[in-house]
Amino acid sequence: MSTAGQDLLEEFRRQRRSGDPRLTPEGREILTRIVMGDLADEFADSLAEISASDPLLGGGPEDRPD
Amino acid sequence: MIVVDEYLAIRSLLGMLPDVLPDEQLAITSSAHWRLLQRLHAPSGGQLSQALAALPTPDREVLRFPRREVLEVVDPRPLLDEAAQIAARFGNTGLLIAETAAAGLAHGRQLWFGNPRNIGTRLREIADDLNIAIHVAA
Repeated sequence: MSTAGQDLLEEFRRQRRSGDPRLTPEGREILTRIVMGDLADEFADSLAEISASDPLLGGGPEDRPD
Repeated sequence: MIVVDEYLAIRSLLGMLPDVLPDEQLAITSSAHWRLLQRLHAPSGGQLSQALAALPTPDREVLRFPRREVLEVVDPRPLLDEAAQIAARFGNTGLLIAETAAAGLAHGRQLWFGNPRNIGTRLREIADDLNIAIHVAA
C-alpha cells in the first residue's frame, strides 16, 4: 500500500522523467538530432567554439600556479 | 540534485534520459545554459544553425525557460565564491569550468555528461583533484 507521500514522490519522478510537454513533434525531432543524432558532433564543436571565443566563460591559456 | 551538461539537459526536456542516470532532480549550470542560449540566439552557420533556426517558437521557449520540475538552472550566486577559488587555484579556468566544478562539489561530488567530447581535459583534471566523479551517459 502506498502512502500519500510516496504517491507524491512518484508524481515528481514522473514529471522529471516525462520531459517538457510544451515541445512540438517538429521540435522534438530537431532536438533529438542535436543531442543523439547526426548533429551531435557539430553541437559539441559549437559549444566549444562559444567557450573559446569568450575569455570570461572559457578562460585563457593555461596558467597554473607553481 | 544532479548537475548535467547541455546534452543531458536537452534529453531531460525530451523525456529521453539514459536509464543509468540517477533518479534525482536535474540541473544545468547558468554558464552551460548561457552557452546553449548563445547558440540559440546567435547561430553560427552550418547544419546545426539551420536546424535551430527551424525550431518552432514553443520549443525555443522550452530551451529559454525550462520548467523547474523537469530541469533546474542552478542559481550561480551561492557558488560564485567557491568558483572563484577554484579558478584561482587551478589558473584561469574561465567561468564555465569553475562554476561546473563548484556545482559538482555542492551537489553530490558528481557531474553527468551526455557526450564525452563536452568534458574537456582541464575539467577532468580539476574534477579528479577535487574528488568529483565524472560520469558519461551517452
